[in-house]
Order: sequence, then C-alpha cells, then structure tokens
Amino acid sequence: MAKEKLMVTPPPHLRSGETIASSMRDVVVALIPAVIAALVVFKVNALFNIALCVATAVAAEWLTRKALKRDNTIGDWSAVLTGLLVALVMPATAPWLHYVIAVVVAIVVIKELVGGLGLNIFNPALFGLAFVLICSGFLAPWTSKLGTFPGLFDGATGGTPLTFIKHGMEGSSAAPSLLALLFGNRTGGALVEVGAFWVLLGGAYLLYKGIIRWVIPISIIATVLILTYILGGDGVYAILAGGVMLGSFFMATDWVSSPMTPYGQAAFGILIGVLITLIRLYGAPSGAVAYSILIGNAFVPLLDRLFKPERFGAVAAA
Amino acid sequence: MEQAGKSKTFRGGIHPPYHKELASGKPITPAPIPEELIVPLQQHIGAPNEPAVSVGDKVTVGQVIGSSEAFVSAPVHSPVSGTVKAIEEVPNFTGARVKSVIITPDSSQPPFSGTPRDTSSLSAEEIRDIARSAGLVGMGGAAFPTHVKLSPPKDKPVDTVIINGCECEPFLTCDHRLMLERTSDLVEGLKLCMRAVGAERGIIGVEANKADAAEALASAVSAEKGISVEVLEVKYPEGAEKMLIFALTGRKVPPGKLPSEVGCLVQNVGTAIALAEAASTGKPLIERVVTVTGPAIKNPGNFLVRIGTPISALVEAAGGYLGTPAKLIMGGPMTGWAQPDDRAAVVKGTSGVVALTLDLAAEEMERECVRCGKCVEACPMFLMPNFIVRSARRGLWDEAESWGALDCFECGCCSFSCPSAIPHVQYVRKAKAEIAARKKK
Repeated sequence: MAKEKLMVTPPPHLRSGETIASSMRDVVVALIPAVIAALVVFKVNALFNIALCVATAVAAEWLTRKALKRDNTIGDWSAVLTGLLVALVMPATAPWLHYVIAVVVAIVVIKELVGGLGLNIFNPALFGLAFVLICSGFLAPWTSKLGTFPGLFDGATGGTPLTFIKHGMEGSSAAPSLLALLFGNRTGGALVEVGAFWVLLGGAYLLYKGIIRWVIPISIIATVLILTYILGGDGVYAILAGGVMLGSFFMATDWVSSPMTPYGQAAFGILIGVLITLIRLYGAPSGAVAYSILIGNAFVPLLDRLFKPERFGAVAAA
Repeated sequence: MEQAGKSKTFRGGIHPPYHKELASGKPITPAPIPEELIVPLQQHIGAPNEPAVSVGDKVTVGQVIGSSEAFVSAPVHSPVSGTVKAIEEVPNFTGARVKSVIITPDSSQPPFSGTPRDTSSLSAEEIRDIARSAGLVGMGGAAFPTHVKLSPPKDKPVDTVIINGCECEPFLTCDHRLMLERTSDLVEGLKLCMRAVGAERGIIGVEANKADAAEALASAVSAEKGISVEVLEVKYPEGAEKMLIFALTGRKVPPGKLPSEVGCLVQNVGTAIALAEAASTGKPLIERVVTVTGPAIKNPGNFLVRIGTPISALVEAAGGYLGTPAKLIMGGPMTGWAQPDDRAAVVKGTSGVVALTLDLAAEEMERECVRCGKCVEACPMFLMPNFIVRSARRGLWDEAESWGALDCFECGCCSFSCPSAIPHVQYVRKAKAEIAARKKK
C-alpha cells in the first residue's frame, strides 16, 4: 500500500458535508424568488443595483484581504450574499454611490477589519444600510423620476407603506392592501419589499435545508404581530409591510450575529420584535427593522452567556 | 420490546451516513493466524502489566504473558501457541510506544482447551474473579477492566445492567453479528453481570437499524425474568454510556460521575459474550470480532481475530485494499484513530478497521467559527463546543474548563456538524491535558 498517502487527523473522520460555502450558496438560492419579483417590478434598475452591489462586495473583500495578507475567501459566497442583501434592502432609486458606500462599509469595516467572517458583531449588510440611512437621509419614496435608469417602472409618489403605520392609516385607501404587500406592492420601500410572499418562499427553503431554525423568525414576527395589535395598530399589515420578513428570515438569522441557543434566540427575536414595533410607531418610519436587528446584535454575547444550556446531568437529583 | 410509538433516545446527536450494509450481512469468519503477533502488555485503562515471559520462551494459547497486582488492571494472555520472539516497545494504534510481546506462532495451532464449568451456581465474587483472570475489558473501545466495573461501591447499589447493542458508530457491524450469532451467550453474559452486581433488571438496548438482532434477542429473553429488549432510535451517539442510560431509564449520570451513581452498569455486547465464554470454559480474552470494512476494502466482513494480529494481515483476510485508501482507521470513523500505516495490532478494544477513500476522508480547511450553533445543537452533553475551542485557542484553560471541557466525552458530533471544519475534539483533548497538568501542580 502507498503508506505515505494515508491521512492522519484527529477524529471524527466523517463530516456532514455542509460547509460555509454550501450554506451561503443556499441562502443566495433562497433569495431568488425575491430577486425575480424585484426584477419584474424594477426591471433594469434592479439588475443594475444587484450587479453593482455584488461586484463591489466581491472586489472589496478580495482587495481588503489581499491588502491584509489574508487568504482569499471569495469562494465562500459570503461576499456575494452580503452584496445581494445590500442591493435588496436599499430602494431601487437611490444614487449609485450610496450602494457602493453601503457595501464597502459592510464588507470592509464591519466584516474584514474586525478579522473577517465569524468575528463580526453586527450584520454587515444591515450596518451598511444603516450607515447610508443615517449619513444621507436619502431614503426617498419610490418615484419614476429617480433611479439610475429612470422611467422604467410605475411607482407611486408618496410615503412608503411604513408611513401609514406611523400615522395609524393602514386601513386608508392610499395604503397598499394586504394582498399587495404579499405579492406585488408598488407603494414604496426597498427592492425586496415588492412582496413578502417571495421572501417567505426563501425562508421556507432555508428552514427546509436546516440553514436556519424557526425560533428567531417566528419570535420576531409573533412579537411584531401581537404588540402592534396591543398598541392599537394593524398587526398583519405590520408584519407584511417593510422589511420584517426579510429581517426575520435572512438578517436576524445570520449565523455570526445571532445567539446560538434556542432560549437565547427566542429572547433575541422578542427583543427585536419589540424594538421594530416601537421604532415604527414612535420613531422613524424607515429603517426600523435594520436598527432593531443591529441593536439586537449588540446583545448577542450577553444572550449566549445568559442562556448557556444546562449541561447534561447537572440538574439531576441523583 | 417496544412495539409502537417513538423509539427511545436522547436529545442532541447527529445522523451520519452509516454504510453498515457493507458488512452487516457477512457472518463472522475466523481470520487466519498471522506470521507474527504483536501483543501490547497494556491494552486497558489502568496500571501497566509486567511481562510474565522472557524472550525465547515457548508459550501456549491462553497462557498469561503479562499481569499486574494492581486492582485496576487486566492480565494479557498469549493468543496463540508459539515462541516469544521479542519483548520491546512498539507503537500501538494510538501511536504511543507500548511494551509488547512479539510472538511467532507454531505452524500447528491446538484450539484452546478449557474446563467446562456450570455457571448457574457461580457467586458474585467468583464471577468477578473469572472476569479478572480472563483479562476482560470493555470491548467497545474504552477498555476499562470488567472486574472493576463489576465491583460497584457498596453505597451505590446497581439495580440495572444494560447491554449496549447500539453500535452507533458508522460502518461497524461486529456487535450486530454477535447479537445475531451468539444470542444465547449474550443473554448468559448479561445474567452473569446482573448476578455479579446484584441487579434485578437487565435491558438490552438495540438501535432500530438492527431489527433482526432485536427480534432474535427478544425471543431469547422471553422466558427470562427481569430482562427486556428495547429498541432505540438510530442516532449517534446512542451507545454513549450516559446517553444510553438516559434513553433507557430516564436517569442522568451527573457530570464527572460513573453510571453506578444512578444504579446502572453498561456492558458492551462483546464483553458480555466473552464473560459468558470465560465463565463456562475458562477461555481468556485472546480473540475478538473485528469489522474490516470501508469503500477501500475489497471484501468487507466480520472476522474472529486473535489479539495481536496486525492490520495488514486483517486487510489481507478481507481481500486486500480496493484502490488506494486515503485514511485507515482503527475503531469507528467517529472516534477511531487514523493510522500512519497498517502495522498496528488489534487489541482487546479494537472493534473495527475502516479504510476510507478520498471522497469520504477529504478534509476542508479549518475556518474561523461562524457561530452557526450546529455544534451546540448536536452536543449530547449540552455543552457549547465552540466556546471550549475559543478558550483553547487562546490558551485560557480555566475558561475552557468552565465551558465544560472535562464533561466532553469526545463523540465528535460537533466537528461532524461544523461548516467551518473546526477539529473541536483536538482542542478538547488539548484542554483536558492542560487542565489536568495544572491540577497536578
């Protein structure tokens, strides 16, 4: 036998086959329905934004790691995913430089400068979005006048669906119907907010593939639903409008920036749900989901320790 | 036998690919006696043995060749009749250099001739003596001396003896074959264990993927008082002592404690059969069943192998290698030892030799932990393995201990599940060694 070829490594000698790359790729696959919906509504604007964000993300990660003399990690799909998520959470109509700034902040500052994937505290894509939101205050309603390629879609001028929550006008005729929020909202918001249903499809896929667990999305959605009703709003409208679905299934479930134990995840989800509802009703109508998840991210180290599992047998009365 | 409803199990664990079909249908066949046997003088957990023979001595099969006065030890017997060629330090399957007796077998091998004995009247003390003088150790891999296990502390009475018929390690099928082919010996072994510790209840736990064995055992124990067969969910590590006790009795062995703490004793299938054999004929532990399998083995099978047989001879008995093996494992693929070559010898605790091809053995590059929590979800001890790793990487051994490094029994579920290909078990071993070294100071 060719003895020199035998591999000697510590056990276990079998692996599940799941890798960072395979999981990230699955998340990208899960976003396909939402991407198609965005392309249908925003046409070439969406295509341009997505291409720009993904290309910027890949280039930024490659350059940063090269400059820091680290391994090339482009192959793990994480930069692609971050770029795609930034494109999806920004409106179709922002100036192109805003996308580039958001992506560079996400990849370079939030992820690579703290050591790379796994060491970041905050969700990179959401931090990029929040940075641009705060710095430029640009989040304009969708109109046919703006965008890199204007005039290609029919957008309404006026507030985003979230302005109606803030003013308690979810039921007014100007507000989108629940059906529109599910399948084809054109009132305003981010690229991904075309329809909650398309995001839910992807969320179901992630659950099926075991990439995410149900605790975080369900606790966020349930909290927003119930608390909005308690505070006198329309709970169903609240969970379908804006970024609740994307935030719950794709952002708050980000492995790196969420707690690892079931109870920790439930506490994390409830915290985020409370923040979303309160910020929307009493604070800024836009960006509530992003801010809430980022605040939640900051609590993760605490939640991991607070909800550390009781080790096997430790509580047994012998 | 459990008929309906959910089969018993524990929380956590994984579902690895099992590949049991390679060898599960192959009846146990005796492997040829090799040209040379390497018999390590220490094959158990505990005090080392001193050689009882010298170079040039003629030895007969079953003769004691190494022993110790210490309580926690098990003597070693000559697996064949032959001549002691050398007594020297040889790397064992873990790579550690262990003083070993090297025996050249005679060309003709008389079978072991024992004295038949009526086992029905043996006392607890006699059963323990038989286990000790036969050199019995746990044959599932841990190799803890059996007579010590059969001597639980007076203040912790054992009421339940469990036979571990889970064989939850992928690929391995030796226990499965033993349960099918040595059914009545297994039941006899269980009864002897129960008598030795004064237990009223005996349970044989079998994973659901060995339904034929469970059925055979169920009909064999149908007339036995206090003995039952339970079917367990197919999940790794169902056969880990603490998990098995919990699944079958609902009792939880506290951290750092032994099963006797909760009135249980767990025995491996092979050990129980060896005990029955030793009791009825006086035959010491000189051979065992080893599964030789894997995609890089031509004719996978289950072999009755003399202790001291090198892997190479065993592979030959299984038709040789198929293609080029990428990894050769002594034991199961979840907890076994990767071999640098095929020279190591079978010991009492060797359950299998698994030869993997590159598609199964390939290792991903270790990445930073991405905190996915899969290790936390998989850990049957409810630890946070990634935090043990994080502490170990920084050399923070107290912190590693506070995250439960010492409670880890190294099942490998964490590393199996890890998308970052982190070798948690390696870090845990390092942490255990460091923590132990600091406690000595």
